Amino acid sequence: MTTIDISQVSSLEELDALEEALNKEEEECDKKIDELLSNRSEIEFQLRTLSKKLANLKPVEAEAKHFAEVIRNTATLAEDVSAKVRVLDKAKNRVSECQQRVNDLLDLQQCSVGVATAMQNEDFEQAAAHVHRFLTMDENLLKHTAMDVSEGKNMDASFHKLHEAEQKLKQVVIAKFDEAVKDEDLASVERFFKIFPLLNMHEEGLGRFTTYLCSKLRETCQKNLTEAKLTRDKDKRASVIYADSLTLLFEAIARIVEIHQPLIETYYGPGRMLSVMEYIQKECDHQAKMIVDEFRKHRDFIRKIHIVTQYMNQKSETKIDPKELDLVLSELTLLNARTELYSRFVKKRVTNDVDVSITDESEKSEKLSNLDRLLKDGDTFRVMQVVLGQYILLEQYFMAESVQKAVEMDTLIEASSQESFVLSSMTDDVFFIVKKCIKRSLSSQSVDGVCAVINNACGILESDFADLLLSQLRQGFPSGYLDLAQAYSVLQSSFQHGKLQGSDIEKSRAHFVAYLNNTDTSMEYVTSLKSSLESSMNDSFGQHLTPYEKDKITSCLQGLASVNIRLKSVFEFGLSQLKSSAVKPRVKPWLDAFFHARTSYELDEDQFTDDSVPMQTFISDLDSILKSFKGCLSPSAYEAFINLVTTEIALQMEKSVLKNKFNRIGGLQLDKELRILVGYLTNATTWSVRDKFSRLTQMTILLTLEKVSEVADYWGKGPVTWRLTAQEVRQVLSLRSDFRSEDVKRLKL
Amino acid sequence: MEDYKFLFKVVLVGNAGVGKTCLVRRFTQGLFPPGQGATIGVDFMIKTVDINGEKVKLQIWDTAGQERFRSITQSYYRSAHALILVYDVSSQPTFDCLPDWLREIEEYANTKVLRVLVGNKTDREDREIPTYVGEDFAQRNNMYFMETSAKEADNVEKLFMEIAHALIEQAKVREPVSEYKGGAGPAIHVNSSRNNSASSESCCGRLL
Repeated sequence: MTTIDISQVSSLEELDALEEALNKEEEECDKKIDELLSNRSEIEFQLRTLSKKLANLKPVEAEAKHFAEVIRNTATLAEDVSAKVRVLDKAKNRVSECQQRVNDLLDLQQCSVGVATAMQNEDFEQAAAHVHRFLTMDENLLKHTAMDVSEGKNMDASFHKLHEAEQKLKQVVIAKFDEAVKDEDLASVERFFKIFPLLNMHEEGLGRFTTYLCSKLRETCQKNLTEAKLTRDKDKRASVIYADSLTLLFEAIARIVEIHQPLIETYYGPGRMLSVMEYIQKECDHQAKMIVDEFRKHRDFIRKIHIVTQYMNQKSETKIDPKELDLVLSELTLLNARTELYSRFVKKRVTNDVDVSITDESEKSEKLSNLDRLLKDGDTFRVMQVVLGQYILLEQYFMAESVQKAVEMDTLIEASSQESFVLSSMTDDVFFIVKKCIKRSLSSQSVDGVCAVINNACGILESDFADLLLSQLRQGFPSGYLDLAQAYSVLQSSFQHGKLQGSDIEKSRAHFVAYLNNTDTSMEYVTSLKSSLESSMNDSFGQHLTPYEKDKITSCLQGLASVNIRLKSVFEFGLSQLKSSAVKPRVKPWLDAFFHARTSYELDEDQFTDDSVPMQTFISDLDSILKSFKGCLSPSAYEAFINLVTTEIALQMEKSVLKNKFNRIGGLQLDKELRILVGYLTNATTWSVRDKFSRLTQMTILLTLEKVSEVADYWGKGPVTWRLTAQEVRQVLSLRSDFRSEDVKRLKL
Repeated sequence: MEDYKFLFKVVLVGNAGVGKTCLVRRFTQGLFPPGQGATIGVDFMIKTVDINGEKVKLQIWDTAGQERFRSITQSYYRSAHALILVYDVSSQPTFDCLPDWLREIEEYANTKVLRVLVGNKTDREDREIPTYVGEDFAQRNNMYFMETSAKEADNVEKLFMEIAHALIEQAKVREPVSEYKGGAGPAIHVNSSRNNSASSESCCGRLL
């Protein structure tokens, strides 16, 4: 509510306004008071009902209190009951423990008696069963119980007896087992093998049993090796007899695992395969080493490696004929392949066993890393790593030497029955060798081996082979005005007579052309080698290849792409040789002759002709050179060659045009002649040559204009993408003797 | 098709146990796996790094140091763009073998290959090779030099990044107009001629 300060009121208007405000306020107050009064009866009614309800609350309170009391009593009662139950439960447990112990005591007695009888009857299974039962008892607890019931003496005796029996049984079982081994009584060996775990002698049992298995393994292996050594050279398997011996060893182990794994799992429980394999692997290592040693001795391996190493390190000139290595290389890959296969087998078996028997992840990974170590560091695998290294070395030598041989025996040949162009035999031979070597490496089943051989092959192709092609092309294509058809006929007769005939120039021309074809064909071969290896990689490894290993091989195969980059540069070098000695020296005089024949391009209308004789002459000259090369270049080399010729013609022609003067009819004449030329070249090739002539075509557009101002219709408008600069346009227009140079200068471009 | 501008092959060599695998693991996975078993043959890893906004794919070949894998590892020298020769600063014998390794590199690798000497395990307290000795050796043999600790992740990232950097520079010198638009194949064209010596790119100095 606003307080009113009368002293602030200074005029009548203000006083009126004030009064009005006060009146309004008074009205509002009245209204509020009326409202409050009208609510009064309702409030009174509510108060009345409330006091009525209050009376009802009393009994509720009393009941609630009663209820709480009841609950409290029930809780106490329940607690009492459950305490009793707990006590009962304890008692029951004790009773059953007691029963167990009584049972144990009874069993103990029975066992001690039973063991004696069983031992007497040589029923070792029974005896072991008794001891096993006894071993499950808690000896200290039993002794306690026995004291309580003053059965101490009796029981001590039983214990003593059983301990004695246990020791005795252990000795007997070991002795019997050993005896069975000595007698080669397989049934008994297995019989006692099953008893070991009953006596808590798992490791002992596995150890002795695998020792026995290993001794069998040793025997068969020795027998195989002796037989291998006696194999006569004529025998079908003679060349791979040591790989066969190794195969037999691995197969024998696989058989042992196959037969005995179920037995071991039944009596010793799962999860034992790693220990078993560790035992067996020792013998395997021993035997594998012996086989490889014999292999080395009988294949004269050390000498071969020595000679090759010395030769490759340029320490000696002595060589081995690569043919002599062929068989041993195959056997090396086979040795390795078998080992890879065996390693996969062991890995799979043990991993499966670990997977089913161990749930703890860290324990599992520890076991698996032990397995990994077994398969990496075991002697068998170490020896094979050495063998693989030596294989790679020999394969490298074989490849390099065979390539060398192919180069030495190089002769010119016709590409194929369908294609008549000539290349030399070394291209086919080199790629045959490279492919053979890489395929052989695939049969080793070793990813690292395959990668290394691919790397080495790329090295030979990219360096030695490409260098050779380059050096041959570097000798150049001898120039001189001589029909190429002659070079071609020299080539044709060369493979009929087995050697190049004709003059020296002809010979070197033929040689050059053949090497250009070699280079071109090699690029094709590299591409197809790459794709064929990609597919045979899948064939030889199948699903054994992890994505990681696949990537690894693919990365190495990528080296072949680098080979092609190198070959391409060699090929381009060859083409440039051809250009400077066969194309340039001809195109120039022909064009000179052409422009010379057409003395002037400032023509009268009646001088215009549809079939230009000078152009016909030019084309027939051109045709002769193209034809002569078409026969002797490979299709794609020929394409590259035409490309070269076309570029050169366009370039030279442009230069010549700029040296001439034109009127419009002359321009039309040139346009006509250019069309004839482009038409001819288009027929000669499979791709469009128009692009090469686009600058010239645009020049003829300018040369055939009616007026200078018409340029504006073309420049910067329409579908024409100009290849000429503004300055060049002016230059061309100024060739027109009928255009005024001021007009040309004034052009806005 | 993968998106990268350059692809470089980096090959690590050096005696067994100097920590080649650990260097590679540290760089590619950020791990230092203790109790690493010896490498069998050659391991291979890929890591794409960003150098001044350009994607560079490093193909890293981690070779086994043991003698019996020599003919496998030698086959990787030729196509390498960079070779990292590693020794252990706490083991004199691994340093003493460096000349033998250099002979191998001379024999098999490309003359233009980027050569880097790395002294690893600087975290060890029983250091036998002082920094200046390694540095000196590198200088005499025209190599980059760096000391690293794969365990402490010290200088490892830097080592590989500097190599990528240097290789890009080298590639650009050789190929002023880079027209490579990603995809397969090496960014650096293989030298068109072997006997072209790269005298202009003598690469001596510390990578620091």
